[in-house]
Amino acid sequence: MEDLHARYADRAVRSVFIYTHEAHPGENYRHHTSMDDKRANAQAFVDHSNIGREMFLDDLNGTAHRTYGGLPNMTWIVGRGGFIHYKSAWTNSADVEDALNKVLDFQENRIRNQWIPFYSERSAWSTRPMDRFREGLERAGPQAVSDYEAMLEANKAKRAAPSEDVAPRVPGNFYKTEEEDSGK
Amino acid sequence: MLATDYNYDVFTGGQEDFLDFAMHAPKVTMRAPSFPVEELATGTTLEMKDFWKTGVTVIEFGSFT
Repeated sequence: MEDLHARYADRAVRSVFIYTHEAHPGENYRHHTSMDDKRANAQAFVDHSNIGREMFLDDLNGTAHRTYGGLPNMTWIVGRGGFIHYKSAWTNSADVEDALNKVLDFQENRIRNQWIPFYSERSAWSTRPMDRFREGLERAGPQAVSDYEAMLEANKAKRAAPSEDVAPRVPGNFYKTEEEDSGK
Repeated sequence: MLATDYNYDVFTGGQEDFLDFAMHAPKVTMRAPSFPVEELATGTTLEMKDFWKTGVTVIEFGSFT
C-alpha cells in the first residue's frame, strides 16, 4: 500500500491510514486505555513499517472504525465529494489498485462517455502470508499468539458440531462452500 | 460500546465482525460518513470529509498488531 501511495500521489489521490484499536494486543503492544497509548503504538508502527502515508488516529471509542465496519484491516476508496466507490474487508494492494484505476477512469471520463455509477458487489481473493502474520503476533507478545490460537480452536469446534439450524451465510474469510463443508 | 470493550485486551475474533461489515457498514454508492480524526504528526484534528474535498482518497484502517 505504501508503494501504491507513492505511484498515485501525483494523480490527486490522497492515501491515509486510520489507526484503530490493537487487533491482537500482547505484552509488547497492549490494548489502549488512553489516547497516549494509541499515539505511542501508532508511532511505533510508523517507525517500524516506514509508513509514508498520512497517519490519523480514530478516537478511543473507535467511532469512525466501528461505523465503517470495525474489521482489522479494511480499505475504502472515497471519491471527490464523498461517494464511496470501494470497500474491502481485507486490504489487498492489487485489488485496491484495480479498483482505484476504475475510479480514476470514471472520474476522468464520466461526462464524455455519459457513464452513470451503479451498485455492484463481488468477491476477491488474496494469498495469506501466514509467516508474516505470525511474525506480527510474536512481535506483539506471547499473549497475542495464544489468543489467536485459542480463536482458531474455538472456530474449529464450532465447525465440528453443525446443528440442524442453518444460519445465514456469513460473508468474510470464514465462508465455506457447501462442498468444502461436506469435506469433498 | 464502551471504550474498554472496543479496546479489548484479549482477542477472541468471530464471524459476527464480517457480518457487521457486510450488512451494517455503509455501502458502495453511499456517501461516506465523516468523523473527527487526529493527525499523528501534528496532533491537529480534522474531519474525514476534508480528505475527499479535492480528489480521491484511499483509506486503510489498521493497527500495528
